[in-house]
Amino acid sequence: MGMLKVDFEFRKEIVKEDFSLNYCYQCGTCSSACPVALATEGEYNPRKIIEESLLGLKELLIKDQKPNVWLCSTCQMCVEECPQNVFLTEIFDILKNKIVQTGNYPEAYNIQGNAILEYGLAILLTTPIIRRREQLGLPIVESANIEEIRKLLVATDFEKKINTNGYSKTGKGEK
Amino acid sequence: MTYKYFFGCVIPGRLPFLEASARKTFEKLGIDVSDQTQYSCCPDPTGVAALDHKSWLALGARNLSLYENDNSDVLSLCSGCTETLKSVQHILNNEPEEKEEINSILKKIGKNYQGNINVKHFAQVLYENLDAIKENVVKPLTDLKVACHPGCHYLRPSEIIQWDDPFEPITLDVIVEALGAEPVDYELKKDCCGNPLEKSDKNLSLKLLQNKLESIKNSGADCLVCVCPACYQQFDFNQREVNKRYNTDYNFPVFYVTELVALALGFNADELGLKFHRIRVSDILQKLNV
Ligand code: SF4
Ligand code: SF4
Ligand code: SF4
Ligand code: SF4
Repeated sequence: MGMLKVDFEFRKEIVKEDFSLNYCYQCGTCSSACPVALATEGEYNPRKIIEESLLGLKELLIKDQKPNVWLCSTCQMCVEECPQNVFLTEIFDILKNKIVQTGNYPEAYNIQGNAILEYGLAILLTTPIIRRREQLGLPIVESANIEEIRKLLVATDFEKKINTNGYSKTGKGEK
Repeated sequence: MTYKYFFGCVIPGRLPFLEASARKTFEKLGIDVSDQTQYSCCPDPTGVAALDHKSWLALGARNLSLYENDNSDVLSLCSGCTETLKSVQHILNNEPEEKEEINSILKKIGKNYQGNINVKHFAQVLYENLDAIKENVVKPLTDLKVACHPGCHYLRPSEIIQWDDPFEPITLDVIVEALGAEPVDYELKKDCCGNPLEKSDKNLSLKLLQNKLESIKNSGADCLVCVCPACYQQFDFNQREVNKRYNTDYNFPVFYVTELVALALGFNADELGLKFHRIRVSDILQKLNV
């Protein structure tokens, strides 16, 4: 890894949000427990993501996305089995949040984020579903006060953090 | 303390028949659950948390504050929602700084998070009412072999979820057994179905699903049971896709555990909207003579 740029600030930023990163002693238990590591023959590798985080290899993790942190299925097996109580999935979320700021992340996440901005829910009811609900004798779905949800999300800067290009108020947030 | 439902987004908006089975079941069992209509997306622990931790936390805290205000515990119909709401509680109850920050945000919409209610997965509530279930069974599901799929977020991280065994889950098998059916064991029982990977890599998502299905096939199960709408969609909607890609012939009907309970309590297939399942359940109904 001689050519790679080590960024200590980057490691510090992660540790500030989740101190458990520091406990990792690179035993590899997480990767042996990981169904995605198994299915990709080790190309996806949680131990390596943690190692790169410890070393502050920002470019590799955020720009090149190697290994690709979006391939974690969030099954939490690694978290359950880690002998050092490293909260891997929370660390992965910190990394994903950072990647989101660069704009280079899977579109499906964006669709969900924009739907929530627009409707407060990830899924909007369609006419056939509304009819089906009637048939089943289910009540009409009232939705949360969307102004309230938006106000909350303005306070957290959500709209500035995700990519809203081509979404807002077009109905395209629906999935 | 009474319960109020947290249905999430997927069930009311895509799988309303699962909602119907839950409402019927809890009513029949005499468990007091009412509606709360003002919740937003929980939000999704696999999606929104990846976009922005703070927004995820704030939306989750707002949802919890609604139930606190009603003096009700949350009865969640989705494992993802359960994980989010329990995680948000765990964080806010253990990290005073986060709690303060989130409450300053909630204040802008006239809300406040305290941390004084319980969040329960619906299967936990069923398990806690096993006696009532047994008393009310009128159509025992005799000879039905069921492979239970607890799913990740029903179990893990165990430190936060605090329910069932993260490696050797048993609660669903116990419920299924109370209905007179026969739970079967299989090797990959605790494993993930692959659903969240649909957002990043469909091939990989289907690969994990195929692993699960093969393991279930080897168990001799007639059908499978799950307790999360994400798992439900993965198994019911994507089984055919797996067959196409892997040249296999899996054909397992997929039930929500509330559907099996409701059948055993005497509700019929029409009332439960079982015709809306993609994998046909008619063979099972015939076998059960319901
Ligand atoms: S299991 Fe824990 S300690 Fe071992 S390598 Fe993985 S994160 Fe590090
Ligand atoms: S949570 Fe992600 S990294 Fe951990 S075992 Fe599951 S898929 Fe692998
Ligand atoms: S976990 Fe899924 S179903 Fe539950 S509210 Fe979130 S997106 Fe909706
Ligand atoms: S099995 Fe899949 S869909 Fe179900 S809870 Fe786990 S990750 Fe979610």
